[in-house]
Amino acid sequence: MSGLPTTAAGRPGPLRELATRLRVWWTMLAISLEERLAYRGDFILGTAMRFLPIVTQVFLWTAVFAATTRSDIAGYSRTDIVAYYLLTMVTRAFSSMPGLAGGIARSVRDGSIKKYLVQPVDYVSFLLAARIAHKLVYYAVAIVPFAVVFFLCRGYFPPLPDAATIAAFVLSLVLSFLLGFFMEATLGMLGFWFLEVSSIIFAYMLVQYLLSGHMFPLDMLAGIPTGIAGVSVADAVRWLPFEYTAYFPAAVWLGKIHGPELVRSLAIEAAWVVVMAAACRVAWWRGTRRYSAFGG
Amino acid sequence: MHNSSGEPATGAVIEVDGLAKSYRVFDKPEGLVASVRSLFHRPSRLVEALKGVSLTVGRGEFVALLGPNGAGKTTFLKLLSGIITPTRGTARVLGHVPWERADDFRRRFALVMGQRNQLWWDLPAAESFRLHQEIYRLDPARFERTRDELVDLLGVRKLVLQPVRDLSLGERMKLELVAALLHEPEVLFLDEPTIGLDVVAQHAIHEFLRHVQAERRTTVILTTHYMKDVAALCERVVVITHGDVLYDGSLAQIVDRFTTHKIVTLDLDAAPEPGRMERFGFPCEVRGPQVVLRIDRGRIADVLPELLRIAGVRDVSVEDVPLEEIVAGLFRAAPAPAERPVGAGA
Amino acid sequence: MGRYLSIFLTFARACLVRDMTFRANFLLECVTSLGWMSMNLAFYVLVFQFTPEIGKGTGWTREPFFAFVATGLIINSIVQALFMPSAEELTEMVRTGGLDAVLVQPLDAQFLLSMHRVDFSSFANGLVGCGLLGWALARMDHAPSTTAWLLYPLLVLCGVAILYSLVIMLAAATILLGRNQSLYDFWFYLTNFSRYPAEIYAGPWGGPLRALCTFVIPILLVVNVPARVIAQPLEGGAWGLVALAVTAAVVALVVSRLVFQAALTKYRSASS
Repeated sequence: MSGLPTTAAGRPGPLRELATRLRVWWTMLAISLEERLAYRGDFILGTAMRFLPIVTQVFLWTAVFAATTRSDIAGYSRTDIVAYYLLTMVTRAFSSMPGLAGGIARSVRDGSIKKYLVQPVDYVSFLLAARIAHKLVYYAVAIVPFAVVFFLCRGYFPPLPDAATIAAFVLSLVLSFLLGFFMEATLGMLGFWFLEVSSIIFAYMLVQYLLSGHMFPLDMLAGIPTGIAGVSVADAVRWLPFEYTAYFPAAVWLGKIHGPELVRSLAIEAAWVVVMAAACRVAWWRGTRRYSAFGG
Repeated sequence: MHNSSGEPATGAVIEVDGLAKSYRVFDKPEGLVASVRSLFHRPSRLVEALKGVSLTVGRGEFVALLGPNGAGKTTFLKLLSGIITPTRGTARVLGHVPWERADDFRRRFALVMGQRNQLWWDLPAAESFRLHQEIYRLDPARFERTRDELVDLLGVRKLVLQPVRDLSLGERMKLELVAALLHEPEVLFLDEPTIGLDVVAQHAIHEFLRHVQAERRTTVILTTHYMKDVAALCERVVVITHGDVLYDGSLAQIVDRFTTHKIVTLDLDAAPEPGRMERFGFPCEVRGPQVVLRIDRGRIADVLPELLRIAGVRDVSVEDVPLEEIVAGLFRAAPAPAERPVGAGA
Repeated sequence: MGRYLSIFLTFARACLVRDMTFRANFLLECVTSLGWMSMNLAFYVLVFQFTPEIGKGTGWTREPFFAFVATGLIINSIVQALFMPSAEELTEMVRTGGLDAVLVQPLDAQFLLSMHRVDFSSFANGLVGCGLLGWALARMDHAPSTTAWLLYPLLVLCGVAILYSLVIMLAAATILLGRNQSLYDFWFYLTNFSRYPAEIYAGPWGGPLRALCTFVIPILLVVNVPARVIAQPLEGGAWGLVALAVTAAVVALVVSRLVFQAALTKYRSASS
């Protein structure tokens, strides 16, 4: 993560360096896994409960379709909408980072961040490893309820898409994980500048919730003009990072986005990952510099 | 003293009999595989924090509760405060069973924990005091008189109007003490009240506690790791290790009973030649012209004249072994805890 | 009783003093909670772009539905302002042993633990809720009857009481388990069911769910009953619901109190 393995004379070779780094990563991963498992009761309960809001949404849209004369809303049939919400659950499972920003801000505030300034470990890498571990354990447990729900709801899904679409879906998921991570980590590092970031985090969550497509398929915004000729709100949102953390992978699976449009969206998503990773680095450098200058 | 609240006529304020508390703790196995396994099966143990303590404390006594970390001191205070319920045994404080948490009981005692903050963090202490007045239903005139008296005794009148978060640890502790004593409790539990404080603040708190206790005949139980607190305040000492009472008696007796020797310090004109002092046959430490000897208490009278005959003795002092050392010896001498594994916990 | 009120007012005053010390933060909190609310409202506006009614023949057309949403805002803002901040702090208190200090005070522990913090910024949503209610009722075809107006505040209180009981149950669980992150998620997900008219829970899955959330965990009665009384004609069925809501509130308060008392005797206290 931080800097490339060095081959300068007298330093260990790149392979050795990489091996060391991987071992450190593995240890961090294992510790995080253990930590997660220590609170298993919370964990299983928490995973199962994440499906509850979907249930409400499904009933709401069913009631909407019962009362309307339309056969589809913004291109989504009743079954499409159910499938969409279930798929956003999958993408949120990759992109959401509960407690990441708040945790960073808290460790800045209470001074425990000092530990990472002293220890020979890169903080961002450490967080990323911990988060991967967190996610892996989450998937290990969550796969069961996910499989059950998706099996029960198999009738709502269109036939399995082709291999290219599935590949694009997987790629978009991986990118959405990285995007979610770097966005939240950067947000947490604002704690170096602001004492109280919880309000900023909350504001971010609001925007994120609305514009990520977590609430409803963003295609429903297609009819709403932005004021610029020929550009709808849905078009504008495409250039922001948010929709890639919920809407985009789901829409890919449902075949709403394909061809050149799909390639363009993947490129935008990848670009945002790079931008946010850089922002996160810069925030860390400048933040720690500021922190040590002010003595914590 | 009249006996309105059902206290025994003997004057005992605290009566504890066979009080025991055990906890089930779950072992956190190390390693990834073990963690995964622990998803389904968690090994647990029963830890006996307190193994059956019996104790009687009379009105106006100032008792020091000593013991190493994890000996059960805090558990004991929590039981007497009614915060937790015991596994077995009985206790009566001011005639009440503490863990029934009767309002009448809770109005008559106070608990101060040195490591916990009970004042409102973002507000001046005066606000917390006022809330205290409401909660304890204190008569306004009396409340103000008590508050002013306590605040002046500790010299913290000016701090009362500052937000608590802006105060130093020592200042905060003083205000905590004021808050705890506002309702003039008959029984006071102090859990490490001087922890982390500097010598000046410690001294101020000693003076304050001594004064208040003498004035009000408050019954006080104090846990601490500082022997200075004990020496300054307590006539009675109870030593707890591994959940058992190891010693219960006066501070003077603890020295008598657990020390075999005294410490004699000689100041000489010049550093003694090597080997010269050793002939007395005692453990001996030479620091330049100063020699420190540990001498059996029974032999002091015989040895002292002999020592004084050494050429060049300028000064002699005879002291008891420091309290810290005696207590540390006591802690070490206690048998190791026996923990019962319980095996499978759900 | 008077003493408890005066203690509560002391708490409230202290919280107000603190909120005013950190004024910027307070305003920010008002703004974010209003932001959250307007976002939800925007979603409902969007939904009504596509349908005239939620559920066929349920009567939850645009204006009545917004009266429903307004009722939800009012009830939730009361709970958020009065009880949630204390309950959220409880986790911290159990973890650090701050609960010890509460237990030694001569005061009802449930009162102290559930009401020692007041979050004034949460009232902002309630005020908007009142405004929204007025707007929706003014645009409705029929005006609520006097009986409806009399019942409405009572039923709002019942809704608050049911949610309060849930908070107390969660607090009890916190004391027993020592931590409760998932429990507050659980709170969020559970109250989520109360956000829409009960009529949407229909069909082979919805029916049992509706029964569960009405009779076992009476979360569906919280907003539905007052909203129905104020926004829909008072018909025969409504009276049964009113009786049910009042009964549920009383039972919930009693049960949660018992559970909380039982939990306190099991409290382990953090080791220091």
